[in-house]
Amino acid sequence: MFQGRHVGYLEGLRYKGRENMLAWALHRITGLGILFFVGTHVIAAFFLNAIGDTISTALTVLYESTLTQIFVYFCVLYHALNGLRLIVEDFWPPLLRYHRELLWFQWLVFLPIFGLPAFLMLTSFLSGGAH
Amino acid sequence: MRSRYPAQGSALEYYLWLFTRLSGVLMLFIGAFGIVYANLAGGRTLMDMPTQYRWAFFPIYWHVQNSDIPDVFPAWSNSFWQVYGMVFLFVAAVHGFNGLRIVVEDYVHRPFLLIFAKGLIFVLFLFTLIASAVIVFELFL
Repeated sequence: MFQGRHVGYLEGLRYKGRENMLAWALHRITGLGILFFVGTHVIAAFFLNAIGDTISTALTVLYESTLTQIFVYFCVLYHALNGLRLIVEDFWPPLLRYHRELLWFQWLVFLPIFGLPAFLMLTSFLSGGAH
Repeated sequence: MRSRYPAQGSALEYYLWLFTRLSGVLMLFIGAFGIVYANLAGGRTLMDMPTQYRWAFFPIYWHVQNSDIPDVFPAWSNSFWQVYGMVFLFVAAVHGFNGLRIVVEDYVHRPFLLIFAKGLIFVLFLFTLIASAVIVFELFL
């Protein structure tokens, strides 16, 4: 948390941090996405098994839909890869010299590993396969 | 992206900073061990891709029970995996809810609201742990 100068939320969005800002923002968004998914998953399982309530049915329909699964896959994969890069840079600061290359390498690894399963899930979803 | 360095002078903040990084690596190993075990224990021909993912993320037998694996019980269901899953969940919950606290600290500036939000996060953290302990160890009410 920075001290003293408060920047408004919309003002912060105008900050042109390019690929660094994108990585920072995506790390937050994907982290919150995982927390939301795992949270609803645990709560749904709890209500289903321990109490037998119907809340779980609604939550299960939400998190088992293909679009949610693709979103969760994006979140987990991006958060894991970006987190690994962050750890590497934090514990071996000399690597910060290659920070930009590492960021591009990260996208190079991320895109095929995310893209192929997401494409398969989406085509299966659109052709009326698995829900 | 600039790495997030800990606030100066706070030991707890430093340990949480360190924990976030170490637990991040640890969770990758936890998932990898689970998935390697499952495939060596005969799951290779039985598990499709979603089942592999589900087992990697949470290695409890009912997490893969819908996937037509015959005899999940002997190798897949025992207290080792219950404790393993609970440790995984505890590490993940501390990592996740601490991350949520850091995000909230960045956007909430009013002291009273911040204390309230942190309290709410702690309550959610405890509820998640209790709820998951109930379903993992099957302590149904």
